Amino acid sequence: MATQLPDLKALERQAFARFYDDGLFDLLLGLMMIALSLGAAIQDWLDSESAAFAVMLAAAVVLVISFKVLRVRLVRPRLGDFKPGPERRHRIAATRLALLGSFVLGVVAFGVVGVAGGLGISPAAVEVLLPLVWFGNAIVVLGIMAYLLDVPRFYFYGVLFGLVGPLLMWPDVLWDVRIPPPLAFGILAAPILAIGTWKLVRFLKTYPVHGAPEPETNLGD
Amino acid sequence: MGLPNRRRTLATDDRGGAGQVGVDRLIHEPARLAIMTNLFVVESANATYLLQQTGLTWGNLGSHLVKLEAAGYLSTNKSFRGKQPQTTIALTPVGRAALLVYRRQLFAALDPISE
Repeated sequence: MATQLPDLKALERQAFARFYDDGLFDLLLGLMMIALSLGAAIQDWLDSESAAFAVMLAAAVVLVISFKVLRVRLVRPRLGDFKPGPERRHRIAATRLALLGSFVLGVVAFGVVGVAGGLGISPAAVEVLLPLVWFGNAIVVLGIMAYLLDVPRFYFYGVLFGLVGPLLMWPDVLWDVRIPPPLAFGILAAPILAIGTWKLVRFLKTYPVHGAPEPETNLGD
Repeated sequence: MGLPNRRRTLATDDRGGAGQVGVDRLIHEPARLAIMTNLFVVESANATYLLQQTGLTWGNLGSHLVKLEAAGYLSTNKSFRGKQPQTTIALTPVGRAALLVYRRQLFAALDPISE
């Protein structure tokens, strides 16, 4: 180990980014897309928005809980745990705010769709504008996450997630071609799931679980 | 307790080794420098985190932590998460200041050297 003066900002970025190198967030995002596709398919089959919403919500809750449990079981024993400094905490808070804003925008957009007729918005306008809102929302929120969390591949995920809206609605409007939701979501989720799986396997190989500390070190974790 | 103080800081008139450039030798040791810098960029961390970040063994990490804690550069807090014992380690304000001083001193010492 050579004595050198490390770039403290780079060291912090590298330490934090390592916690997103486990592939779990990638898998969470990819599976969320699959859950959305299930919801959209159920809406098509049963023509019931409430059933679709219930399925999507239940799937999202199960996925988020699984994500948290896996992080505790897989990541913490390998990488340990740390409390970030003030600047990183502000970045994390801003990211959560962006996610909340994105969720609220999504709910408002779908709410507007529900009452579009009453507002004098034509179905054709909805079919053009809703995918644009979806695309912009995905690009902005995942772009903010990529920037604030220093994980550049989230920019790419923003594009993939954002393309779902246009892929589902525009071919229908332009060419009368209806792409089934599981296919549209599945095609765009596949690269995210593949990257997530590859990263998870690499993570498990690269970072073994450390054995228990010797008693004399008095460093129980 | 003269020895620990003498070990920690060497004045410019001290003879030999790192003392010639007047840096804090406690921090100047590579493993301890790695521990200090990794703790500097976070608020606190557990021992597994430091083990992963520095590449040290449990034994090495433990012995360096004891030295840094004795110097007042870091504090350790032992607690339980469920039934698991956990040690949380953080730099003290003294440790943060000492690392910044060390950095400044080393830059000053290297400044006259041209490539």
